[in-house]
Amino acid sequence: MMFGFLNGFKVTFNQMFKKKVTLQYPDVMPDFGDRFRGVHKFSPEKCIVCNQCARICPTSCISLSGNRKEDKKLHIETYDINFEICILCDLCTEVCPTEAIQMTDKFELATYNRVDLYKNIYWLDENRRLDEGITEQNAHGADVSGGDK
Amino acid sequence: MEFFNWTNNQLDLPTVLAMVIGAVIVLAFTLGFVTYAIYFERKIIGWMQWRIGPNRVGPLGLFQTIADVLKLLLKEDVVPAKADKVLFVIAPIIAFVPSFMVLAVIPFTSQHYFTAMSNVGILYYIALSATTILGVLLGGWASNNKYALIGGMRSAAQMIAYEVPLAMSMLGVILLAGSMNFVEIVEAQQNFPYVWYIVPQFLGFCIFLISATAELNRTPFDLPEAESELVAGYFVEYTGFRFAFYMLAEYVYVLAMSAIAVILFFGGWSGPFLPDWLWFALKVSAFVFFFFWVRASMPRIRTDQLLSFAWKVLIPLSLLNLVLTAVVKALT
Repeated sequence: MMFGFLNGFKVTFNQMFKKKVTLQYPDVMPDFGDRFRGVHKFSPEKCIVCNQCARICPTSCISLSGNRKEDKKLHIETYDINFEICILCDLCTEVCPTEAIQMTDKFELATYNRVDLYKNIYWLDENRRLDEGITEQNAHGADVSGGDK
Repeated sequence: MEFFNWTNNQLDLPTVLAMVIGAVIVLAFTLGFVTYAIYFERKIIGWMQWRIGPNRVGPLGLFQTIADVLKLLLKEDVVPAKADKVLFVIAPIIAFVPSFMVLAVIPFTSQHYFTAMSNVGILYYIALSATTILGVLLGGWASNNKYALIGGMRSAAQMIAYEVPLAMSMLGVILLAGSMNFVEIVEAQQNFPYVWYIVPQFLGFCIFLISATAELNRTPFDLPEAESELVAGYFVEYTGFRFAFYMLAEYVYVLAMSAIAVILFFGGWSGPFLPDWLWFALKVSAFVFFFFWVRASMPRIRTDQLLSFAWKVLIPLSLLNLVLTAVVKALT
């Protein structure tokens, strides 16, 4: 008749004994998929200094410079991403022809001063080494200082 | 423990001292109950929603409410600029004091400790619940905020409308027991025909349960304090410890209403093997769990549906219950 809503009571009561879906962050890190858009990693040997990533970035947060060496090819010299304005949109990764710039699943970027958010080529390369398991993480993780602006 | 049984003593200094100390003990117990009722409400509603409740603050999250109350007490005391200062300050007090006074007539054990054993217990209870409505209305008016006023008006309308079926459902039990004294109602349930009053008064019990949930302003009747609708209703301008007073009043009423339900319909402290205070505690806990369960399961009812439900459904049903009980009592 009109007591159909009492079925809801049975449902909520039985739900008390089911497995909970809470993730105990930060003790347990969430398990993201492969295409998660976190902090970038950069491989300097793959970069051909085509400047596409800097052109397509919607907030113009990438700035780079390279020079031409003896083998008549351009090599990357400086590569900076300003994480104060990077929106982690993944366009630079999509447009890069050699997959030199890619994104990891590291998302914890909060710091106490702005200098730490301006990541230069050394940090991004280090991030790549950490992400691909080439280097072991030391006690406080990757070097957070981004170098001078 | 006999020190706390003051029902048959004269009013001299040791008795007054016993009453004051007893009141302090009951207050401490009530505050402890409120603390862990809030903790268990969050935990149980969490479990019913496939998540764990608070579990970080202290072992298993047991200190969560203490941390919350500490935060509320340390907040800045904001009185709105054009608010009526006197009314603004005393409204939470008017809302809380009757809820604590009601606990004086509730018998916790069969040896009458900490209780007044008043012969007009039910009348005292109904009268004090009505006084809390004044506190709510004053809080809504004194805040100088139209949303608070609307929330206060709605809450007062709801609480007054549901007082009537609440009182009338209690009348059925009074007819069967022959007294308004809570102790005598429990003792009458232990006599022939040895059933708790929920069996002959099942309709009265259902009406009581619905009216009690509406009196407490709990879901599904919590429109006056709905966060998503009225921005916390009548206590939107209250911060810090004044807000804590309103919350405290609500949870003490949960305790009082569950205790009344247990006494009227479930035989109070009676039960086979365990000590009587333990039976009372278990039954009250079951009722409080039921209130939390309802909160996790049902959506909210609109104001017009709520009031027409009270007037057009509950009052005729409770009158029917009263007439049937009177007929049965007259025939036997």
